Amino acid sequence: MATSRTTRRALALIGQYAGLIAFAIFTCFPFVWALSVGLSADPSNTWLFPRSFWPTEPSLMWFERVFTEMPFLDYLKNSTVMSLWTIVAVAVISVLAGYPLARLKFPGRNLIFVGIIATMMLPSEVNIIPNFITLKHMGLLDSYWGAIIPNFAGAFGIFLMKQAFEQIPQDLIDAARVDGATELQILWRVMVPVSAPSIAALSIFTLVNAWNDYLWPSIVITTRDKLPLAVGVFNDLTGPFAVSTSLVMAAIVMTVLPVLIFFAFTQRYFISGLDGAVK
Amino acid sequence: MKNSSSYTAIAYLFLAPALILMGIFTFWPVGYNTYLAFNNYSIADGVATWNNFEHFKYIAQEELFHNALKNSLLYLLVVPVIQVAALVVAKLVNNKLPGMTFFRAAYYIPVITAISIAGVVWANVYKYDGMLTWLLQSLHLVPQGPDGQIDWLGNPDIAIYMVMIFTFWKGIGYYMVLYLAGLQAIPAEVEEAAILDGANAWDRFWKITVPMVKPTILLCTLLSTIAAIKSFQEIIVLTKGQADTYTALYYVYDQAFRNYNFGRGAAAGLVVTFFCMMLAAVQFRFFSEKK
Repeated sequence: MATSRTTRRALALIGQYAGLIAFAIFTCFPFVWALSVGLSADPSNTWLFPRSFWPTEPSLMWFERVFTEMPFLDYLKNSTVMSLWTIVAVAVISVLAGYPLARLKFPGRNLIFVGIIATMMLPSEVNIIPNFITLKHMGLLDSYWGAIIPNFAGAFGIFLMKQAFEQIPQDLIDAARVDGATELQILWRVMVPVSAPSIAALSIFTLVNAWNDYLWPSIVITTRDKLPLAVGVFNDLTGPFAVSTSLVMAAIVMTVLPVLIFFAFTQRYFISGLDGAVK
Repeated sequence: MKNSSSYTAIAYLFLAPALILMGIFTFWPVGYNTYLAFNNYSIADGVATWNNFEHFKYIAQEELFHNALKNSLLYLLVVPVIQVAALVVAKLVNNKLPGMTFFRAAYYIPVITAISIAGVVWANVYKYDGMLTWLLQSLHLVPQGPDGQIDWLGNPDIAIYMVMIFTFWKGIGYYMVLYLAGLQAIPAEVEEAAILDGANAWDRFWKITVPMVKPTILLCTLLSTIAAIKSFQEIIVLTKGQADTYTALYYVYDQAFRNYNFGRGAAAGLVVTFFCMMLAAVQFRFFSEKK
């Protein structure tokens, strides 16, 4: 009886790991192939499977050519600048808006909250035409600001910060008010430090979204040198600059790598951040 | 301490940046889009002239738009598949076994990759002599040699399903993490008690896991339904709308930024928004009845 239970448990465990590994192969195989093709100096095996999943004559030459054949560093700089501004703006705006929705009583509170949450149901792509016209009137077409401003205020960030602020004990706020702190001081000195993990999670999400944003920057920005990575590399790879698959794959690996490294260090917060959003 | 009226002023002051920006870039566009739908908009001088229901009459009888709408609705097929798979995968990684962090990360990699970049790689998976053809040929599911080489993204009968597989690959990690959060809220004792009572894995899944994560299921289904209805970026990076993969939002984009007919695009956008709202309402009704 005891042994059969152990065998059954062992079998279940093997089955479970087999499933996990098979699924990991499904999610990772395109990147493994891209990395291998990018690392191969000799591209002759690119279309020979499964041979192409490990490099032929490993070398970094295609990666070096990415820098000489496309304005990769410009794209990298644009992505960095645009992402950083987006993170700062989203964090400040979400913290400011989350606090009154979570802790202050005022007329219209529920209406505003429901209104903000309802925007999650809207297909944001429908906004592209009016936003394009608005930005044209503001003179922000073909600029960094035009590409990022519509992302500054979003329901997700406000909702996440509201949830975080609701967890904080009322005593902390009352004590600060008795000491004569203004609401801005309470927010900045009490609420923000205590909710640092949620703000970190929000910043990480914002970074990944901003870094990967493709559609809107591709509509707003027309000058090649102003494009972020996700748009610039795509345009170059699918356009006349796509000279070889090896070069394309090297560029792709270099585009994914910054996000991947960042994700490796912060993935704990990803999970906990979404955790807060569900509860 | 202050009285409540001074909190009202402060509350609105704090909310002002968010409300102003959302007003300009989220709420105003909904209204303006509705207005544009009933107008002819001239790009050159920005003048809109009222035309009653001309755009709606036009798209109501246009084959291209009907087809686009049909493809968008067909795309909903991906929703149940991705939800069931995400829940099963979340169940698999919701263990204190070694290596789970690695697997969770591996499943999340497609989510954090830009859709344009992922699309370029997948175009090579779907090449006529690419990875998919090789896999099926080595499993002897299609004929060897050039006979079995299928142009996966060029064949109108299958191209849209291929794009759906890409959506599945890209999105499953996101829903997996959401389900994981839901699963971790289930107390371990509940499952242990069921095991003692002799319930098998299948029963435990349907009678404990599914009911306990129902709120998460509602949230995820809603999110992925809206994502499926507005499927468009995956189309633009993989097929550019060719081979019968033209979706409703692709139509909006095409009318606006290639035909420069903002009014007609807006009218089509309004129809898509209407479908999103309907599906959201249906899902809320469906899930709240069954609880």
